[in-house]
Amino acid sequence: MSSLCLNRLQEERKQWRKDHPFGFYAKPNKSSDGGLDLMNWSVGVPGKPNTIWAGGLYKLTIQFPEEYPTKPPKCKFGPNFWHPNVYPSGTVCLSILNEDEGWKPAITIKQILLGIQNLLDDPNPESPAQADAFNAFKKDKALYERKVRLQAKEYAVS
Amino acid sequence: MSDASDDFDDYDQGSEFDFDEESFGGSDYGDNEGFEEVKPESTKLKAYEVEHEVLSTAGIQQRQDSQIGQVAAILGLSRESVMVLLLYFKWNNDRLLEQYTEDPEVVLKKAGISADDDSNKKEYKIMSVVGFMCDICCEDRQGLETFALECDHRFCLDCYKQYVTQKIVDEGESRNIQCPGDSCSLVVNNEGIKLIVEDRVYKRYLTLLNRTFVQDHEHLRWCPAPNCEYAIRCDDVSAKDLKTVVPTVQCACGHRFCFGCGLSDHQPCICILVKKWIKKCEDDSETANWISANTKECPKCMATIEKNGGCNHMTCRKCKYEFCWICIGSWAEHGTSWYNCSRYDEKSGVEARDNQAKSRASLERYLHYYNRYANHEQSAKLDKDLYLRTEKKMTQLQSTSGMSWIEVQYLAQASAVLQQCRQTLKWTYAFAFYLEQNNQTHLFEDNQKDLEMAVEQLSELFEKPIQELAGLKVTVMDKTAYVNNRRQILLEDTAKGLHEGRWRYQVELK
Repeated sequence: MSSLCLNRLQEERKQWRKDHPFGFYAKPNKSSDGGLDLMNWSVGVPGKPNTIWAGGLYKLTIQFPEEYPTKPPKCKFGPNFWHPNVYPSGTVCLSILNEDEGWKPAITIKQILLGIQNLLDDPNPESPAQADAFNAFKKDKALYERKVRLQAKEYAVS
Repeated sequence: MSDASDDFDDYDQGSEFDFDEESFGGSDYGDNEGFEEVKPESTKLKAYEVEHEVLSTAGIQQRQDSQIGQVAAILGLSRESVMVLLLYFKWNNDRLLEQYTEDPEVVLKKAGISADDDSNKKEYKIMSVVGFMCDICCEDRQGLETFALECDHRFCLDCYKQYVTQKIVDEGESRNIQCPGDSCSLVVNNEGIKLIVEDRVYKRYLTLLNRTFVQDHEHLRWCPAPNCEYAIRCDDVSAKDLKTVVPTVQCACGHRFCFGCGLSDHQPCICILVKKWIKKCEDDSETANWISANTKECPKCMATIEKNGGCNHMTCRKCKYEFCWICIGSWAEHGTSWYNCSRYDEKSGVEARDNQAKSRASLERYLHYYNRYANHEQSAKLDKDLYLRTEKKMTQLQSTSGMSWIEVQYLAQASAVLQQCRQTLKWTYAFAFYLEQNNQTHLFEDNQKDLEMAVEQLSELFEKPIQELAGLKVTVMDKTAYVNNRRQILLEDTAKGLHEGRWRYQVELK
């Protein structure tokens, strides 16, 4: 594991603990030996208030590659997450998370999570990642919104 | 220079002496009736030749530099910025100048250049800043070396270096390496990259730049031969000319290829027909042709039937329908008088027969040309083996007949000419396949026949045993010259015909 990658992740964690946007959480997983696994994080992104996504706290995992921060991390919802830009596997399709598009080494975890929050209510119709949600979004708004609200309840903060 | 004015020039060349470069160029077919041009014969290009130049890596670099210098002088910008602009516009001067004069600020922004270019431009510096922490690695050690572009997104040198190196080495990027700062689209230019990365990486960067330079330029093309590092420049031919020119160029490495499509020398056949022909030969469609030529379909259930014996009273295995193989009509209507197949002219049978006859004829025609095409391809391969044996022969000749090295070179030459002619002949068949039958085509076929005969004679001479070869030197040399001459005549005439629009094709050129 490169020291650049670890230093950066440690610092990211420090910064996050010092200050982070309201309603979000982000923490490294526990590794099998009881320590921290900085390469894999569990995070939560709340839906924006006054949108159909409101009320849900959407859980994701973030996987950092060895080459981080030269290369972007991989962000995944649970499988079959209902959103036009999320692959059936749960992987998020977002320009700033794409090595060949908008990824820059200076992008922080905070920015990534805020970016994902934005994406929830503002899907990008240019890059569909799953058929179901995309088709509904395009052709049957009522169905789309019903499904989103249902999902928000499923992910509601208890 | 546009095509229209080019044509115009052709008419008054007789009275004018200031030929521009274009008139010397190979694109100018058909302007030499009467040979009025005052110009040494040796530099005169044949109708089938195009003017071209081989560029080495240094030459490419030089052209790049001169284009940058030229634009820098017009726009009054630094060379570094102009380079970024040209990379963004894919080395298209006109587009750059046009859009830049329209709105300089937008163009600079789109290309990733800081708007306050040049006038108060800071020189790039690696420096340490008090109280600095790198946003990438979070290092905040004192005296840390840092770097930033005009946007002031400052990062430590190590991170910057790693980022740029990754872009260049792993991703092969040279055109658009942006500042590592979040959503900053400023481009790290040549000067910045030179300052940041190791020499090895910078060299790689320059190589990549050269590569994109050649790829982006309409008039440049890499030699496709394996391991060849040269590029070819050919100014007179653009994509729209390819219906009337076969721009064949020869690289310094010896490889001859078509500048238009990059395939090996396919004179005299034009690129579009070459593509069609290759596709046709690869296509399965000829299998379908065979089926329609050699089988018939049951008129009722359409099962494909190949008749391999027996009488004409067919009973379909599949649907048990009975019909006559000759006229495809129902057997029941034949009664007992079937033997004369009196129903010959009746409609039910006529159409089926027509279609079959047509596809049979078309298959035969294709095979006629294909066989000859394939034959030359095969022979060229054999001749290549022959050449390897020729080298041995040449050494033997030197020892047996006491001829010197220079005296046996005629064999090498004959072998080279032979191969080239076979290459040409091969493509004449593809070309002829698509030609309409008319008088022009007959002339073409005559030329083809003459070349074919000459080539076969030379090929035969070549096969003679070593003892005889020594005595045949003059004959071989004469034949070689003759064959080469025939090839030139054929190419010259075809090229002129292309330029004059003399050929009529059976297919549409698209």
